[in-house]
Amino acid sequence: MAPKKKEEPKPAAPAAPKPPEPERPKTPEFDPTSVTLEFTPEQIEDFKDAFQLFDRTPTNEMKITYAQCGDLIRALGQNPTNAEIMYVLGKPKAEDMNSKMLDFDQFLPIHQHICKAKDRGTFEDFVEGLRVFDKEGNGTVMGAELRHVLATLGEKMREDEVEQLMQNQEDANGCINYEAFVKYIMAS
Amino acid sequence: LFCSTTSRGSSMKAAVLIQRWYRRYMARLEMRRRYTWNIFQSIEYAGEQDQLQLSSFFTFMLDNFTQLNGNGPDLISQLLDPVVDPWLDRETCYNLIHVPESYTGPRLSFPLSVADTNALLSAFKDQQTLHARYVLQLLYETKKLLKQMPNIVHLSTSYYKEITICGDLHGRLDDLLLIFYKNGLPSAETPYVFNGDFVDRGKKSVEVVILLFAFLLLYPDYMHLNRGNHEDHIMNLRYGFTKEVMQKYKTHGREILQLFQDVFSLLPIATVIDGKILIVHGGISDQTDLDFLSSIERHKVSGINQLWPPGVRKNNFLHIHRQLSSFFVLVNTFICFTLEQIVDILWSDPKIQDGCSPNTFRGGGCYFGPDVTQRLLLQHGLQLLIRSHECKQEGYEFCHNGKVITIFSASNYYEEGSNRGAYVKLGRELVPRFYQYQVSRTTRKLTLTQRVRAAEGSALRALKEKLFSFYICTRLASGRVSVCEWALVLESVLRLDLPWRTLRPHLARLAPDGSLEYQSCFEDMGPGIPLPQVTPNLAETLFRYRTDIEIIFNIIDKDHSGLISIEEFRQTWRLFSAHLGVAIDDSAIDDLARSIDFNKDGSIDFTEFLEAFRVVHKLDSKDQQLHEKMDGEKRTG
Repeated sequence: MAPKKKEEPKPAAPAAPKPPEPERPKTPEFDPTSVTLEFTPEQIEDFKDAFQLFDRTPTNEMKITYAQCGDLIRALGQNPTNAEIMYVLGKPKAEDMNSKMLDFDQFLPIHQHICKAKDRGTFEDFVEGLRVFDKEGNGTVMGAELRHVLATLGEKMREDEVEQLMQNQEDANGCINYEAFVKYIMAS
Repeated sequence: LFCSTTSRGSSMKAAVLIQRWYRRYMARLEMRRRYTWNIFQSIEYAGEQDQLQLSSFFTFMLDNFTQLNGNGPDLISQLLDPVVDPWLDRETCYNLIHVPESYTGPRLSFPLSVADTNALLSAFKDQQTLHARYVLQLLYETKKLLKQMPNIVHLSTSYYKEITICGDLHGRLDDLLLIFYKNGLPSAETPYVFNGDFVDRGKKSVEVVILLFAFLLLYPDYMHLNRGNHEDHIMNLRYGFTKEVMQKYKTHGREILQLFQDVFSLLPIATVIDGKILIVHGGISDQTDLDFLSSIERHKVSGINQLWPPGVRKNNFLHIHRQLSSFFVLVNTFICFTLEQIVDILWSDPKIQDGCSPNTFRGGGCYFGPDVTQRLLLQHGLQLLIRSHECKQEGYEFCHNGKVITIFSASNYYEEGSNRGAYVKLGRELVPRFYQYQVSRTTRKLTLTQRVRAAEGSALRALKEKLFSFYICTRLASGRVSVCEWALVLESVLRLDLPWRTLRPHLARLAPDGSLEYQSCFEDMGPGIPLPQVTPNLAETLFRYRTDIEIIFNIIDKDHSGLISIEEFRQTWRLFSAHLGVAIDDSAIDDLARSIDFNKDGSIDFTEFLEAFRVVHKLDSKDQQLHEKMDGEKRTG
């Protein structure tokens, strides 16, 4: 019998944890026909109104690009991750994002799916998340640390996006009161 | 290590959560910015549709010419007073105007020198006003110079390093000064082309246009001005230049305005660089013929009261002049065609689809497609069209496969933070380079959120004023409608293509049953002064056409005294309401006339009258005071 191979520490550290999976991991491709629409007629009219605002086609064809889909869903009040958006769009290629179009009927099941998803993140979740960075436990986080995290972890933000977010949030010491910060982000 | 993995995991979770919410936040902000922009643009274009209404009213007036003739004041000749030929020398006695010792502003000496333009620059930075005598002299000299210029000015980059082209300024002195600061004053090294719309809307139109003309006189080889659609005395009546001149020059305002009218009509209508780049204010049409345009007498087109609504061109003209000789008709058809060609240049906008269609929003010119551009460029061996006329968020925009550039130089045109201004530079190789800027009203830098919020507030207020005029007349009994009905009605009455349902939360409250509380829109608004006793029909008309009525009164009021006679009022009103198809009986008009003749002397202060039909925001007075205070501080600060 060969001796048991000793477990050696691997020379390289394991890769950083993967970005969070979409809401429904390990399911096959998103099937729009499987979604039951539960919106009221009033809601659908509201969505149509907003959809038109995003429609950039020259003849008002009521179509938007794939790239706009996420923005529209968010403008309507949801907060999906980028991964979730890509999932409901059927994981399109990067070059398709600006060329492939969706009409309103195709948009509805996508939006419905996102609306139904649980775990949107409440005020408390948000605050808890930020508390992680509260080294001193005093209700503030270091702006610099938060910037670093947002630009390097998760669905990374660009520097200008981070700047946009943090504008006027830090006090003279570079600290952010995170409850106030969360209220600011979650407000419309 | 286990702990750090966990905390890394929770850092990750936290990051993703923040990122999600951030992206939501930005998308919602972007939506607000977008509909704010739509509101401003829709209102602007609707205003221009009203201009169309006014033009067609003049047509209507001509139609009824014979009926009015000999019946009281000759309104037609007053309103459509054939303009004194701008080519002729108007009597200007500027040298008889005494400039008091106490005047501390610039004293220009002609021919102008750099000292004079420097004096003007610092005077205007210090909020001083140039004395009327010098304004008149400046205009007189400018007119002399412009008479020598062709309709289309040809420039060559072999004489200059780089040419700078600027778009609409609309009376924004700060933007002009910023351009001069960033790019340099006009000189042999820094030649400029200013592509029209120097006046109207902004509060410093007088200063802007004086500076431009002064540099023109100083360096006629390095300073070039194209005419815009706002270099037009009828437009000036509506969009503020006339008012600004009359406010700053109470004694000599009328004379100054007349000279401006002449000068505007003498401005060249196009500039061509190296035979390759065409610069016009608006655009082109499928009828545009540059050779024809080079040959016409451009000064014959002084104002758009000589125009007819698009799509109703030659036929209408013939109809109007049916009583006149056929020779006259023939001549006028030619003039009509000339007018159309110039109007196309000054008013047209590019569109995405091929073809050429009448520009119904503007009331003049066309929408021209990429094929029209292509054809014209090919025909004249050109490679690029640079135009202005439309506000663009980044200050400039390409279209028609890079063959057309729109350049717009008034930053924050709609509202603080709404858009950047830009200018474009062309060197020998004729490759455009863009420079953007944005004038900031406050010294404290606003965040994106603050800017969006401010612009949104301003847009919504303007929109609510539109709603108010409509509200006065509809008087819905129950005060409750479904959201659907509300959106439909607004869309059709106001003719503003806006996302009404998305805007609804800002405009009206919902009752518990989901229906819309109609009155809630207007709780914080009211008329400027108590409304005179008028029927709802009359009230609606007065509210909706307030600006048009003001323009007509201003035209009638030749000496700009602010007063017109009761008889003139009656006549005009009767005609206008007949034209609009609004049934208002004579006694109602008479009652109205009598009620607004406040001091019973047979004349009406129409500014005061129209005050009743201006919409004010009741909660606003504090805001207004604050704004005025800030403006005041900005001046001294």
